[in-house]
Amino acid sequence: MRETGVREGHVEAGGVRCRYQDAGEGPALVHLTAPRGSSLTPAHRLLAQRFRVIALETPGVPPSPEVAATLAGALQSLGLERFNLMATAREAVTALWLALHAPERVLAMVLEAPAAMPGVSREANLERRLPALATPTLVLVGTRDDVAGPSPGRVYKALMPGAHLVFVYDAGPAVGADRPEAFAEVAIDFLERHEAFVISRAATVIHP
Amino acid sequence: MKVSFFETVRYLPPEPLPSEWPVPSGTYDREAGAAAFRGVMERLEYVEQLGFDWVSVSEHHYSPRILTPSPIVAAAYIAARLPRIKIALLGPIVPHSNPVRVAEELAMLDNLAQGRLIVGLLRGTANEALTYDLNPAEARQRTDEGMELILKAWTEPHPFGWQGRHFRYRTVSIWPRPLQQPHPPTYALGTSRESCEFAARHHLGCGVSYGPFEVMARATRYYREQCARHGWQPTPEQIVYRANMLVADTDEEAHALLRRQPDQAPFVMRAGVREAMLTLDSRNIAGQTRSPIVTGALPTTFVGSPDTVVEQVKRCRDVVGAGVLDLSLHPPGAGDLEPLMRALELFGGKVLPRIRDL
Repeated sequence: MRETGVREGHVEAGGVRCRYQDAGEGPALVHLTAPRGSSLTPAHRLLAQRFRVIALETPGVPPSPEVAATLAGALQSLGLERFNLMATAREAVTALWLALHAPERVLAMVLEAPAAMPGVSREANLERRLPALATPTLVLVGTRDDVAGPSPGRVYKALMPGAHLVFVYDAGPAVGADRPEAFAEVAIDFLERHEAFVISRAATVIHP
Repeated sequence: MKVSFFETVRYLPPEPLPSEWPVPSGTYDREAGAAAFRGVMERLEYVEQLGFDWVSVSEHHYSPRILTPSPIVAAAYIAARLPRIKIALLGPIVPHSNPVRVAEELAMLDNLAQGRLIVGLLRGTANEALTYDLNPAEARQRTDEGMELILKAWTEPHPFGWQGRHFRYRTVSIWPRPLQQPHPPTYALGTSRESCEFAARHHLGCGVSYGPFEVMARATRYYREQCARHGWQPTPEQIVYRANMLVADTDEEAHALLRRQPDQAPFVMRAGVREAMLTLDSRNIAGQTRSPIVTGALPTTFVGSPDTVVEQVKRCRDVVGAGVLDLSLHPPGAGDLEPLMRALELFGGKVLPRIRDL
């Protein structure tokens, strides 16, 4: 299904044709999603009011440094030199590998309900390298997430110097789908201000 | 001269703490915490016995240095345990509180303490804006409006509504009212022009902290000028100076203690937050801009043997005009509590009797 204002295309990554959808104007925000052939979500549309959102379906193989490197190449071929990166569930691991592979290209990251890093050696490699990853990273975890739960988010927060953990109340693992406005607001604020997003800009004036 | 003991709950971490603010609460050690809280009353009973006039508590969040995020709770507990000393709540952070709630709690506390409550109202240090999601650009205005609403809630005889800029209530009529009338002795705490003007306009006291005498004197002079403009003169007791003091048997010992104090703030915000804060938060001393962010350790303005300290207190009295000293004896974070108890003994025995009549 196509919708107005959404451009759709394919890009090759490691011999796999990956579908992407592209909407909005502004700084690039790449969202790594599982291959599912679906349309953009309400959260994407909110994000697209401030960013050029490129929702890229990954090849659908387990995350690895190699997959991350091919995705980095694919993004290059789309003309995306520097970008913000968002990833959901298992793709969060891919995003982290990508940021480690090309730290200068990733401005900031939003990890939505990141999945647990299974205890295989490759993920241990990832954990070992995270303390050196300075990329500003926002980890969003729903308070009703009973899939991965808060543990992976805590691990990232503890390991990564630039990580911030934010719980999204009453959201499950699909944080952006469950609470799109809440998701988009904190994601946009973080992507624009990085760690300074802890400083409130909310106006409380009732009457001047 | 009156003296106040600033109680911070001395938490001695078994392991060195991370130096980043906020300090991860997962590093809190329950045993060390319980010991710190047990130590409070033991210390304060001694403080009362030594003849201190007030014990003060303050509101700080997310920090192991001062374990009283709710100073009301601390004050109520202390008031219940000590029969004579005045309880100085310096103070609730007004801009991120519900002012009516603050007025109610303080009024209740004044009654519980049988009229021994002293109140300081303030905006809070820059980092406190981050704790309850307060917009630093609004902090000053919310403080001024909140303080005025608190005073109104304490004194207005009929139910009233409040159509403010930042607060709106259709009905306010608090019970109990404060025991002390028209309200507990109250200070606007801070060096800013706005704070001094507020205090002068509402006949409140003024409180300054930590800075060198001459710098703090700029604020207290401005406060007195403003009071004069409003047709009244504050008493010395209406000026409080909070400071660090290192008193030891000899000057050499005191200076040795000073050299062991860290020269940097113990916990600092991340650079990106600090930089953003510099553009969003504004602070001043009697109108003269100062940085909202303190990265160095707070200065210790009283250092020396009892004789030396007595002379320094005299100078403080002359220069700052303060009639109340709120003292952090042997500043928190110094580790071992033994020197603090020794400092209390020295101060109570050899300093306090000689500054009483200043």
